[in-house]
Amino acid sequence: MNLASLLTGATQLALVVLGGPLLLGLMRTVRSRLEGRDGPPVSQPWRDIAKLAHKQRTRPNESSWIFPAAPLVLVATAATVAVLAPLATLTPPLSASTDFIAVIFVLLVGSVSLALAALDTGTAFGGMGASRALTIGALVEPALLVAVLALSLPLHSTNLIAIVAEGSAHASVLVGPSHLLALGSFVVVILAESGRLPVDNPSTHLELTMIYEALILEYSGPDLALVTLGESMRLAIWFGLFVNLVAPWGIATHAGALAILLGVLAVALKVALAGVAVALFEVTTAKLRLFRLPELLAGGFILALLGVVTGAVMR
Amino acid sequence: MTTFANALASAAVVVTVAAVVVLWRRRLRSILVALSIQGVALAALATLLGAHEHDGGLLAVALLVLLVKALLIPGLLARVIAATPGARETDPLVNVPASLVIAGLLTLVAFVAARPIVALVGGPTGRLVPLGLATVLIGFFVMVARRRALSQIAGLLLVDNGIALVAFLVTSGVPVIVELGSSLDVLFGVVVLRLLLARLTAAGVRDLDQLRSLHD
Amino acid sequence: MVYLLFLAPIVAGFVALVATWQPAVAWLGTASSAVVLVLGVGFAVRVESSGPVGGGVLRVDALSAFMVIVIGAVSLLATVRSVSYLTEEVASGHSTRRHAALYSTLVQGFIAAMLLAVAANNLGVLWVAIEATTVVTTFLVGHHRTPAALEASWKYIIICSVGIAVAFLGTAVLYLAGVHAGVANPLDFTSLAAHAATLNAPVVRLAFTLLVLGYGTKAGLVPLFSWLPDAHGQAPAPVSALMSGVLLSVALSAILRLRVIAVGALGPSFPRVLLLTIGVATLLVAASMLLAQRDLKRLLAYSTMEHMGIMTVAAGVGGPLALSGVLLHILGHGLVKGVLFLDAGEVLRLEGTTRIEALRGLLSRRPAVGALLALGLAGLLGLPPFSIFVSELTMLRAEAGAGLWWVAAIVLVVLAVILAAILAHARTMLFGPSETATTSPVSLSAPLGLALGAAVWLGIVAWPLAHLITLAAKVVA
Repeated sequence: MNLASLLTGATQLALVVLGGPLLLGLMRTVRSRLEGRDGPPVSQPWRDIAKLAHKQRTRPNESSWIFPAAPLVLVATAATVAVLAPLATLTPPLSASTDFIAVIFVLLVGSVSLALAALDTGTAFGGMGASRALTIGALVEPALLVAVLALSLPLHSTNLIAIVAEGSAHASVLVGPSHLLALGSFVVVILAESGRLPVDNPSTHLELTMIYEALILEYSGPDLALVTLGESMRLAIWFGLFVNLVAPWGIATHAGALAILLGVLAVALKVALAGVAVALFEVTTAKLRLFRLPELLAGGFILALLGVVTGAVMR
Repeated sequence: MTTFANALASAAVVVTVAAVVVLWRRRLRSILVALSIQGVALAALATLLGAHEHDGGLLAVALLVLLVKALLIPGLLARVIAATPGARETDPLVNVPASLVIAGLLTLVAFVAARPIVALVGGPTGRLVPLGLATVLIGFFVMVARRRALSQIAGLLLVDNGIALVAFLVTSGVPVIVELGSSLDVLFGVVVLRLLLARLTAAGVRDLDQLRSLHD
Repeated sequence: MVYLLFLAPIVAGFVALVATWQPAVAWLGTASSAVVLVLGVGFAVRVESSGPVGGGVLRVDALSAFMVIVIGAVSLLATVRSVSYLTEEVASGHSTRRHAALYSTLVQGFIAAMLLAVAANNLGVLWVAIEATTVVTTFLVGHHRTPAALEASWKYIIICSVGIAVAFLGTAVLYLAGVHAGVANPLDFTSLAAHAATLNAPVVRLAFTLLVLGYGTKAGLVPLFSWLPDAHGQAPAPVSALMSGVLLSVALSAILRLRVIAVGALGPSFPRVLLLTIGVATLLVAASMLLAQRDLKRLLAYSTMEHMGIMTVAAGVGGPLALSGVLLHILGHGLVKGVLFLDAGEVLRLEGTTRIEALRGLLSRRPAVGALLALGLAGLLGLPPFSIFVSELTMLRAEAGAGLWWVAAIVLVVLAVILAAILAHARTMLFGPSETATTSPVSLSAPLGLALGAAVWLGIVAWPLAHLITLAAKVVA
């Protein structure tokens, strides 16, 4: 690991930390405008985080060390992935060992820690949220792994950097049916993982339907600021990975400063576009009832599986 | 991988994905849309093959497939839906997630079962045969796992489209008359089914669920 | 020359379509069946003396000629009965003249499609012909237009369409094998059989399995058989007679022809295992359904499945002896089963039901109908001197002779179970408290009696068909 790659990693981290809340703000603004409201400015999530950071921290009486540790784990895992994943450049640190499955599991550690913390509070909402979140996670994980398998077939490798690099080198890979099916499944997975409609409504506090909000109901002050930051970073990472799998154009292929600057701009633009697209989709969609969720996620799974089969027959 | 091979594979994949969508969606109209898209994909595949092999007959078959499978049959069935009040959604005997998992297993079965054909034909066409076979198997499954009359017809059409896909892929030089025959035959079958449905309605039967009188 | 076969049914069907229906129209159908029978005999004579007639797409060899005779004989029986059936239907107002005319046309179309299927020398034509029988018979099964009849025809067309689709897939796969082996005409039975050894074995294995499953659907074989009891139970009696007596055998004869290609490409063991498995499974299903059967027509339908199972097992064993047993069985079973279904139709007309429990004392109450039922069941169970006794014995001998003792043992045990089951049902229907006797008109009893007589004649002397059956068995041995 040399200085250049460390700097690249730091750049990506800064991009994700700064950009994550802005992405969240952008999506909220687009939704508000489409619904005929003015809505908050794009920078509102940052203002919220700053405000929360100065507030007093309250904790449930019954909670253990898990409760305060979870937000830190959430942010730390997201930051790790932000450094290592091919978001703006194909030359992040440790690129030879950035395994797709490892990336997924590092992110998974973050969501599991949040679910554990919700159980740790001992409240009814925490338990309900944890149960729902883990149910969705259990349904998402197989689809995600099979989708990774489909993406890895042309290279016989699950190295995330190699997969993105292959797409950026040979455009024909990007329009291959196996790749497209895997990405179709990826869309479902990302919507579920990041708690967007039609899986979860990120702006609801309706007790019976909320999933993610129930999970973090007991957090306040700096803890809530960390959770919000961590979640927005995860959203940005998922979107960033997705856009680079769909269209890795503009990503820096070497460690030059100009190339990396271009890569940062390109990924920011693509993620912003994806965010607008998801917001558009959310406006036109109703939340699925909880017991219909398995249908959606099983659909994502089968798309990924078809992707694998297609990839296998095309070899 | 050539563009031709990629396009061919994409068309075949659309056929299979449309079959999965029939299993996935509950609204009958969405199922018809999926069938229609499947017809378009089949026609596209036949066009690709015909253009690639400079076979005018195959292009004519493609046109016929487009007319019959993408327009005529879904249109006919749409009129059935419009004429049957209360028939908006399918009635799964096997719930949707389980159906989809089974569809996944069937796809793997098709992959194994098609190995002799893939070994014999190979190339950009032959290796796609598992997708056609998967469509056939999913069609069978739709017929046993969905109750409504229209779902059963949809299953039958899936079986038929899957078979047409296999036939196109393995025998692109096929006697065109056989392809013509099979396309017209499906139309014929659907017309017969439609007539039967009309007679059922005339006899006061609204749903196949009401037909439980024959058993041992 | 071969096209002559279709002339009579087409003319009779067309006349029924355009003319106002009256009994004469139905009699024309009977005449057409008689012509088919005569032509069958004519073709048989010609084939015996100078080999197969025709070539290319349509070709009449010994097996085709034999099947034409079977079709002619059973359809003669069924169309004779159709005349009185339709006359009554129209007179009682159950059917309009329009429906009666449609029925007459469809029956002729049905016969023509079966003739095409047995004369086809081309996989594609065979497929089209079998598909045509499905489309035509769907409406015949639903002729009564009651919810139950429509349910039966719905089931029938859905399941048979699946079967026929599978058969199409098998056809395409077999064609593929033919193309890759460089066979000049890869849809042609004779060319494929001649070059069978050069075909790619795994592909033929797949194709043969698909074809047996597909055409097996029409032959009432496991696994897609559930349409059979419903369709036979709900169809008008003459249609049940035609389906049970010939349609299923026509599908079976297609499997026999395909088996030749499969044996040539794969050797005898794979086709044998496949057909034995399917045949034994069919036998077991039929036997289990016969044990507790409550309806006469469904009883007869499951018995047809049983006989198809027996023939499939024998076809799996193979060899000239077993196959001549199969062919003799096709004819004997067709005649006897035709008689029984027509008699069951008469029972339905007179008693208003075919529930076995409701038919007690049939022999004393309605001697003619009861006696025909008794004799028919005796023939069906393979009691001597009916030909089914001879053909079953032949098939069992062939199975034992091929060293497949266990197969013969299974068949014998199942036959014994079925014998006991049907005898118990027959006792319920035939005997019981006596009331006033009523007789049926002679016009019904005479043709049925004649058909039973023919079955006995076949069992005792087998003249003049013995040579034809030997030749036909050689075609598919």
